Amino acid sequence: MAEIDGTIEEMLLPYPEMVKKNRKKHLIVKDEAAACCPQIEANTRTIPGIISQRGCAYAGCKGVVVGPIKDMITITHGPVGCGYYTWGTRRNKARADDTTPPEKIYSTLCFTTDMQEPDIVFGGEKKLAKMIDEVVAAFHPRAINICATCPVGLIGDDISAVGKAAQERHGISVIAYNCEGYKGVSQSAGHHIANNKIMENVIGTGSERKPGTYVINILGEYNIGGDGWELERILKEIGYTVNCVLPGDSSYLDIKTLHLADLNLVQCHRSINYIAEMMETKYGIPWLKVNFIGVESTIESLRRMARCFDDDPLEEQTEIVIARETARIFPVMEQYRKICQGKTAFLFGGGSRAHHYRHLLADLGIEVSVAGYEFAHRDDYEGREVIPTIKTDADSKNIPELHVTADPILYRDAHTRLNMSREKFEELSSRVQLGYYEGLYPHLKDGHIMVDDYNNHETEEMIRALKPDIVFTGIKDKYITHKQGVPAKQLHAYDYSGPYAGFNGAIIFARDVANALSTPAWKMVTPPWDNYDNAQGSEDNA
Amino acid sequence: MAKLSQINTVKQVNENQCQSCMPLGGVVAFKGIENTMVLVHGSQGCSTYMRLMNVEHYNEPVDIASSALNEKQTIHGGEANLKKALDNVSRVYAPKVIGVLTTCLAETMGEDMDRILRDYRKERVTSGIDIIQVPTPSYGGSHTEGFWAATKAIIAYYARPTEEHKQINIIIPHISPADIREIKRIFDLFGLTYTLLPDYSMTLDRPYGGRYQKIPPGGTQTQDIARMSGARATIQFGLTCPDNLSPGLLLNQEYGVPLYNLPLPIGLQNMDRLVETLEKLSGRSLPDVIRQERGWLLDGMADSHKFNADGRPIVYGEPELVYAFSSICVENGAAPVVIASGTRNSLLMGLLGTLLADVDEHPVVLEETDFAAIDDAGVLTGANIAIGHSGGKFLTERRGIPLVRVGFPIHDRTGGQRVLSAGYTGTLAFLDRFTNALLETKYESYRELRKEEMGIKEGV
Repeated sequence: MAEIDGTIEEMLLPYPEMVKKNRKKHLIVKDEAAACCPQIEANTRTIPGIISQRGCAYAGCKGVVVGPIKDMITITHGPVGCGYYTWGTRRNKARADDTTPPEKIYSTLCFTTDMQEPDIVFGGEKKLAKMIDEVVAAFHPRAINICATCPVGLIGDDISAVGKAAQERHGISVIAYNCEGYKGVSQSAGHHIANNKIMENVIGTGSERKPGTYVINILGEYNIGGDGWELERILKEIGYTVNCVLPGDSSYLDIKTLHLADLNLVQCHRSINYIAEMMETKYGIPWLKVNFIGVESTIESLRRMARCFDDDPLEEQTEIVIARETARIFPVMEQYRKICQGKTAFLFGGGSRAHHYRHLLADLGIEVSVAGYEFAHRDDYEGREVIPTIKTDADSKNIPELHVTADPILYRDAHTRLNMSREKFEELSSRVQLGYYEGLYPHLKDGHIMVDDYNNHETEEMIRALKPDIVFTGIKDKYITHKQGVPAKQLHAYDYSGPYAGFNGAIIFARDVANALSTPAWKMVTPPWDNYDNAQGSEDNA
Repeated sequence: MAKLSQINTVKQVNENQCQSCMPLGGVVAFKGIENTMVLVHGSQGCSTYMRLMNVEHYNEPVDIASSALNEKQTIHGGEANLKKALDNVSRVYAPKVIGVLTTCLAETMGEDMDRILRDYRKERVTSGIDIIQVPTPSYGGSHTEGFWAATKAIIAYYARPTEEHKQINIIIPHISPADIREIKRIFDLFGLTYTLLPDYSMTLDRPYGGRYQKIPPGGTQTQDIARMSGARATIQFGLTCPDNLSPGLLLNQEYGVPLYNLPLPIGLQNMDRLVETLEKLSGRSLPDVIRQERGWLLDGMADSHKFNADGRPIVYGEPELVYAFSSICVENGAAPVVIASGTRNSLLMGLLGTLLADVDEHPVVLEETDFAAIDDAGVLTGANIAIGHSGGKFLTERRGIPLVRVGFPIHDRTGGQRVLSAGYTGTLAFLDRFTNALLETKYESYRELRKEEMGIKEGV
C-alpha cells in the first residue's frame, strides 16, 4: 500500500502545488480494510493545460447519444470542424430492418451548416433554416436533430425557434439540442442534454407495442462493432422482444415506443441513467443495471433479468441458452486464456467500460490494477447511494434538469408492468436490486488504483511504475503506451474489431487480447547486436 | 473551365465535408518546431478532437493542451484559464516554445490574445518560453489555411534582420513525414544546407526505441528559424498559398529573401522544376542518383501508360496536393475528370487553367465543396478512380470507385505518415499505386466484360 502511495506521490511531482492537490482528490487506492468507499472527486472541471482525455458537451450529445439514431438526420450547426470530427468516429453500426429501409439510414452521413465569418457576425439562423429545407427536400427524413456548437450559443442563434418553425413548415419533428461545447465539464453534460430532449420530444409519442410477452429496452448500448446485435441475438433466443436498443442501431420510430416496454435494461449507467429514471417516474417502468461484457457477467445479467419476470419457462429457457452458449464458447476461450492468464492490465473508459470489461478480463485471468474514467460521476465509482450527497456546482446547474411526473394515462405500476402482484414484486426487489448501480469501487481489489479524469502524464508514469502487460484505452493515449513497449487495445472503437459483448463477443475479445499479448514485434525491440558485447565476452572467455 | 450547373447550385448544406477546421492545421505546423507544445484556447473538446484526428493519421502520440473553457469563462473571459494552462504545460512538458491557437469559441468571445499574453509574459519573465499566438477560428478557414497561418506566425515571431548566409529556406505545405524526408534527401544530394520549416518528419513519425519522451526529439530549431531572414533564397512549395498567408512572401517583403514559389515536387515536371532551381542555386549539375531516379520514373511511365490512359480520376483534398496530383494525372494521360477542394481562398483555380490547357475533356472543378457534390460530379463524368484522403472512402462504398489514399487524414488505413509521393522516386511509388488500383478493377471485371460483349456464358 505504501508503495502504491509512493508511486502516486512521484507521479504527481511535476505538477504545480494547486494541481497536485486537485489531482489527489481524483485518485483513490482501494483499501479493503476501510469500511466504505472513500469519496472521489468526479465530474468537476478539467484542469487547463493537463492533457485530459475528455471531450465536450457536443461530443456527448451529437457524437454519442443522438448521432447513432439511424433514421434521423443530425445537423451540426456550427463551423466545419465539429461535424467532421464526429463523422463515423464512434463506429456505432446500423442496419436496415422492417421499418427502416436502407435509404432511410443517415447515420453514416455528416451534415453541417459550415458557418463562415459572416454567419458569426450576422447570425446563422437563416442558413440553418434554409439548410433544413434542403435536407427535407433531398432526403425526406422522419425527424431531424440540430446540435449546437460553441459559437452558436455565444452569438445567440435561437436554434429551438428555428427548429420549431421548421417543424411546423415540414410536419416532422425537429429537435434542437443546446449542447455547446463549453457546457458542463465533459461529454457527460451532452449526454444529459440529449437524454432530456429525447425524453421530452420522442419517448411516449408512439402507440404500437411490439408483440411479445417480455418486451424490453436496452438503454445505453451503442452497438460499437455490433455489440447490440449480439445481445439481441441472445435475448431473442431466450424469448425476449427487444423493443429498442438505445441509441445503437435505434430508429426514431422505435424510440417513440420506448415507453411500451416492460423493463428497461441499463448497460452504460453514466450516459443513459437519466432516461431510465425519468421513464420510471413517468411510466412506471422499472430499470435493471446489467453488464453484458464478459461471460460470467452476461450469465448473471441474463439470470437477473429472467427473475424480474418471475416466470418458470423464461428462467428455464435462459438456462438452456446459457448452457448451450457456454458449452460452445468455453473450449475456445480456454485456448486464449492460456496466453492471458496471470497478466495485468490498466483499464480506462469513458464512464462504464472500466467496470464492465474487468469482468471479461477476469474471465481470461487478467487482473486490472488501474481503472479510470474520463467523465464518470461519483455514483459511477461509489454507487448510487451517494447521489443525495453530491453537491451541485455551477457547472452542473447550467444543465437544465427535466422534472417529469407520473403520466395520467400511461403510468402503470412496476409490478403490473412485470405482470406480478405487488407482494411478489416486493419480494423480487429484495432479491434483485432494481434501479440501482453499485459502481466500480466494490469490484476493485486491495491496492488497486481508481482514477478520475485520467490524463496522459499520469498514464505514462503509472505504466512506467507498475509495468502492466496490456493497456485498454482510447486512441489518444494508445501510442504513448506502445512507445513504452506495452500493447494497447482500443476500448472505444475496438481497433475496428468487435463485437465484444455477449458470448460471441467474449471470444472475439479474447482472441484480440491474446493476439496483442503474443505479437512477436515486442520481442524484437532489442536488436541482436546489442547483445553482442555480452555474448562476445563469454566467447572470448571460453 | 467547365462548371456543371447541376452541381454548382448554391447550397447551404454541407453534406460529408471535404475539409476540417483551421486550428487542426496549425497544430501540425507547430509539431514541426523543436521542443514545442501546442495549446488550443477553447473548450476541451476541440483539443481532444484534434488529437484524435492527428493520432489516427500519424499513429503517434500527439499531445495538445487545452485551456478547457467552461460556460463561466464564456461570460467572464478565459484569461485565467489560459494562464493556468500555460503554467501547467510549462511545468509538465518543459517546452521551449508554446504555440497558442484560438478556436471559434475564443474568437467569438473576443479574447484579446495579444493583451493576455503580453501580461503573462510580464508576470512570468523568468520562464524563457517563447509563446507564439495564431488566430485560427474554424469559421476563418480550413486546416490548410491554419497550417499556413501558423507557419507564417512562427517565422514572423523569430525572424530578425540578420547577416546574409549561404543557406536555403524550404517551406513546405501539409505533406507526409515521408515526403519531408525525401525532400531533405534531394537537397542533401545537391550539397545544399537549408532550414526546412515546419519539419515534423521526426516528431510525427518517430522510429521506435529509447525512453518515451513527452515532446519527441526533432523539429526545426528556433535559432535556425531566426536566421531564415538572412538566407540566399526561399523555396516554398506553396503555389496555392494566398499572399496574405504566405510565409515565403513575408521573408521576401520584410527581409528581401528571394522567393522561389514552386509546386510540390510530385510529378515528373514538377520535380524537374525543383531540380532546375537546385542546379541554379547549388551551381552543381544533377547528381547521378537523381538522374537515375528520373530514368526509372520515365521507364515506369512508359510501361504503364496503356493502363493509365483508361483512368478517369477524381482528385480532391488540400489545394497544394490537388494541384500536384492533378499534374501527375495529366502527364500520364489520365486527365482528371473532377478536381475538388473543400478549401476556399486558395489560388488553385487560377493554376488549373494552365495545367489543363491542352486537355481534351475539361474536368468539373469544385471549390468550397463537399463529398455530396464530388459524388454527383463523379457519377456525371464517369469517374473510375479517386485520389485523396480517407473522406472519399464513400466513393468506393457507394460507387465502387477505388481510392488511392494520399494527404490528410488517412484514418481507415495504416501508415498515413509514410505515404511517399515526393521526388522522382515518390512519384513513381504513387504512380504504381495508381496504375495498380486501375488494374485491380480491370482484372476483376475484364473477362466478364469480354464475355458479355461476345455473348458467351461459359469459359474463363
